[in-house]
Amino acid sequence: MNIRCFQRNFSAAFPPLVPLQLPSPMETHLWYILPDEVKNSALLNQYSELLSPCERESVSRMRGDQLKKRALLARALVRTTIARYQTNCQMNPRSLRFRKNLYGKPEVEWRNEDNFNPPPLHFNISHTSAMIACGVTVNVPIGIDIEEKQRRTKNNIIAFAQRYFSPYEVKVLTAISDPEVQRQEFIKLWTLKEAYVKALGKGFSAVPFKTFTIRFRDTTMRNFHPPESSVSEESDIVVESSEDPTDPANNWRCALLEVAGSHYGAICMEKDRIAGENAPPKLTVWKTVPFVEDVCVSGTDAVLVLGGIIEQ
Amino acid sequence: MASLAASSISFQPPHALATSRVSGLKLVSFMNQGRNSLSFGLRPMPARVRISCAAKPETVDKVCEIVRKQLAVPSDKPVTGESKFAELGADSLDTVEIVMGLEEEFGITVEEDNAQSIATVLDAAELIDKLCSGKSA
Repeated sequence: MNIRCFQRNFSAAFPPLVPLQLPSPMETHLWYILPDEVKNSALLNQYSELLSPCERESVSRMRGDQLKKRALLARALVRTTIARYQTNCQMNPRSLRFRKNLYGKPEVEWRNEDNFNPPPLHFNISHTSAMIACGVTVNVPIGIDIEEKQRRTKNNIIAFAQRYFSPYEVKVLTAISDPEVQRQEFIKLWTLKEAYVKALGKGFSAVPFKTFTIRFRDTTMRNFHPPESSVSEESDIVVESSEDPTDPANNWRCALLEVAGSHYGAICMEKDRIAGENAPPKLTVWKTVPFVEDVCVSGTDAVLVLGGIIEQ
Repeated sequence: MASLAASSISFQPPHALATSRVSGLKLVSFMNQGRNSLSFGLRPMPARVRISCAAKPETVDKVCEIVRKQLAVPSDKPVTGESKFAELGADSLDTVEIVMGLEEEFGITVEEDNAQSIATVLDAAELIDKLCSGKSA
């Protein structure tokens, strides 16, 4: 009998967590919480019990109740989601440990115990005032970013793009005459660029936004997909690095979504060479309230693929 | 912990505010906002290695104003030098917008590696003063 497993199950305070199957290679699992749907203070207290003292302190330092709630839900989402993917037995979400890599990207710190093979999970989170999202992959790093569709910038969009985006991207944005469409395309581009930098995990300064270009590219393969798969009809999304034209950006796959009708979401993941480059990446999306319910929303109106070749 | 058999080692950790190379002895460890760059230290280091002195009060005030505007902080909530952008609810787009606002206000250019190390109003104000004094020198 696995004693460690028994100890981890002995957490009388929490309802059981429904275990999850790991994503397959080249598959992303995306989990999101809508904070406005989580109002039960007993539930929020349970979430608080999951956090490490350090995390709880960080939450308490956030200025204002909404920000505190957001921070709390983000940690609760990460802990419960990762705990559910354990292959051997149920892990207590409270006992997970996290650290930051050399550049500040959060990752799980697996304990080195006998007979424990940690799943090769990668995750990344993003949140706005109205949504908290967590993307999960196996084997390959992932970055995600979400923004509210209605997000407005304080600065002029073109001035901002000229300062931070690549020349090609500035050209694309400048060419859009409708200010509302321009604003939307700016937000989409921002989320894609953020997701790429977060996927790389080396920090904003290692890959300044100006040094790479995100572009939408029409693919010629669109007409050849079998009718039963709901593959996006949109263009592929390509990342081109101006600093190293010999290719590192070609290792990364990006997808752009509209989520819950209210947010743009970008996902960027490294290609899994072993799984085969030509398999289209898959995506499964759940709206969740940890400990309470999961609703799979893939293939519904809650998830629209706006760009990138990805199957739901 | 590495044991240093060689007489001197020179190493530049990422995000370090200063390098340190002493023959036969030790390298110091730097913590940049909780990220461990390197740990060869044999003595404890303060949580942040500060090179510059405190910023001018008028710079801090101006930064507070720009931050308050960008983040739409209600007037009853204080914004001071100690205020962390993240704790006021800034996400990455907010932070970049704040940096852009500071560049315009003070006529400076903030490179990405500097921008990445700004966590508080005071960090921003110190950087601004440093860049401004560099300009007029």
